[in-house]
Amino acid sequence: MALWINEWKIMTEIIRTANLVKDYSLGKVKVRALNGVDLTIGEGEFVAIMGPSGSGKSTLMHIIGCLDTPTSGEYHLDGVLVSEMEKNQLAMVRNRKIGFVFQSFNLLPHLNVLKNVELPLMYAGAGQKERNLKARQIIDSVGLSERLRHKPAELSGGQRQRVAIARAIVNDPAILLADEPTGNLDSQAGGDILEIFSRLHSEGNTVIIVTHDKAVANRAGRIIRIMDGRIENGDIAG
Amino acid sequence: MAISLAESLSVGLADILTRKVRSAVTVIGIILGVMSIMVVLAIVNGMNKSTLEWMGERGGLSKIEVHQNWAYDFSKGGDASFDLREINYIRQQVPEAAAFNPQTQLNPREMQYGELGYTCSLLGVFPDMVKVEDWPVKTGRFINQLDIDNHNNVVVLGSTTATELFSSRSPLGQYVTYTGNRLLVVGVMEPKFLQNQGGGESFGGENALEYMNQRAFVPLSTLLSKIDPNQRINSLSLQAADPESAKQLRRKVEDIVLDLKRGKRLFMVDSAQEQMEQMKRNSQIFSTIFVLIAVISLLVGGIVIMNIMLASVKERTREIGVRIAVGARRRDVFLQFLVQTVLITGLGGVLGIILGYGVLGGVGKYLKLQVIASAQMIWVALLVSVGVGLLFGTLPALRASTLDPVEALREE
Repeated sequence: MALWINEWKIMTEIIRTANLVKDYSLGKVKVRALNGVDLTIGEGEFVAIMGPSGSGKSTLMHIIGCLDTPTSGEYHLDGVLVSEMEKNQLAMVRNRKIGFVFQSFNLLPHLNVLKNVELPLMYAGAGQKERNLKARQIIDSVGLSERLRHKPAELSGGQRQRVAIARAIVNDPAILLADEPTGNLDSQAGGDILEIFSRLHSEGNTVIIVTHDKAVANRAGRIIRIMDGRIENGDIAG
Repeated sequence: MAISLAESLSVGLADILTRKVRSAVTVIGIILGVMSIMVVLAIVNGMNKSTLEWMGERGGLSKIEVHQNWAYDFSKGGDASFDLREINYIRQQVPEAAAFNPQTQLNPREMQYGELGYTCSLLGVFPDMVKVEDWPVKTGRFINQLDIDNHNNVVVLGSTTATELFSSRSPLGQYVTYTGNRLLVVGVMEPKFLQNQGGGESFGGENALEYMNQRAFVPLSTLLSKIDPNQRINSLSLQAADPESAKQLRRKVEDIVLDLKRGKRLFMVDSAQEQMEQMKRNSQIFSTIFVLIAVISLLVGGIVIMNIMLASVKERTREIGVRIAVGARRRDVFLQFLVQTVLITGLGGVLGIILGYGVLGGVGKYLKLQVIASAQMIWVALLVSVGVGLLFGTLPALRASTLDPVEALREE
């Protein structure tokens, strides 16, 4: 289904959720983290998801990232109904369609930069040669070709996050999903990282940043605000 | 989609290499377990072989021996010996015996040749001794039936006895004197030799059968009639046609002897075949017990490995979360940890085999034991160590692969 942004532009939707509900049970108490989320994000959009802690934005991000499944409701990613998928299929979706960037980088400490970036390619079943070639290209594109053999501990925070971005995009995913990507960085390094996201967006990638930082959110083309498990505004593209 | 086993191997190997000390400590239990299995089996193998060699040298598996029953209470009366009449009666009852040799042994006394003297045991025997003991003469001849019938004063010397009295000269045709009896030397036996096992220098130096070479043999009739009329026949050896019929013959001889001695169990009757079977059963029990102990040490090693791997999974929760986030399937995570455990235990197995060989070399050398390591044992050791890895790697791998990625990524 295509949706009209305005009169000239036709966008393909990459994410569409319908009445997403997620319940957690904390002991005997049932907590509703998401309470009917309807959300549409178009291909090539740069979206920020904002909300205070406890609003359900992390839960929403986990479901969008296929790390978690909704209690009820539908989630279509790139035209595929993933809310009904089983775990092995979800692993494949995470591998092929989603690139994660975390606040705390989450690089594997005993692997060097090259091996960290190769990881998604390995799980995609790529051969050693192809992995090496692709990973080198991507690392080059984030400006770290001098640091191939370095371990994460030997890099600055900004450099680590660039490695994480390289790992996220190496499999050419449908969406890039970043959770507070500048939260652990100083403003200089954070600015550099946001520049990379802007560039990736301008190259046609779909970028979703979860943040509570207004300055970060303002970079996005659209801000989706979430509160008490519901979307307050910005639920439809444009 | 899934990463291949080769991939899991390389990931597992990398894990081991980044955690060298931990892997080394983990593996010690397995090394020791595998080593002890190998050493025990090799020693048991060696002992079985040594015993068979001993039996082979002492007349083979068809041999049956009648000797005094040490468990018999002689205060009840009776005398654990035969006279010639009884011996002839037994011989008539067992025509199927391939060889028949009653014998009696005098306490060692000096045998003289001219100026020289040598203290040796004199045995009165039948011509069949060479068959029963599977022991040929080297030069001359052995005692024959004519010597028995005529109570001839002839003697056949053990090889050591001959050397002691005659050095390099031929003793044949010479006369020696034993307790005043002049005896014509008609033959010299082949030397008996068996490599000593575990006994060190205590008996006969390197040759466990040297005592046999220090003997001399005369016709049984001559000994009983001329040399010592008070002496009686105290042992009897037979040779059956083959090891299987030896079992029946043994029972038959036992019955005959029991009947002859009016139901008194003065004698024990053993067959080499049955002794060998008993020995095999014993060594089987022995090796089963020791292998069981080794297996217990392997299980303990396995439990240690399981604990360390569980701790490792806990420690690497976040890493597992990241791997799942970038597309690792549960199976990939499961395999990564299982392969790592199996690699560690397999490595332990290999090191255990190498160490086992070292220990076996030492054991063989210092205890003078024959040890036999076989290729089969290596396979068993390797299989067992990999099996331990599979058994005890499953739980940690399962725990790793069922982690909730959201929780795992939250873990600090």
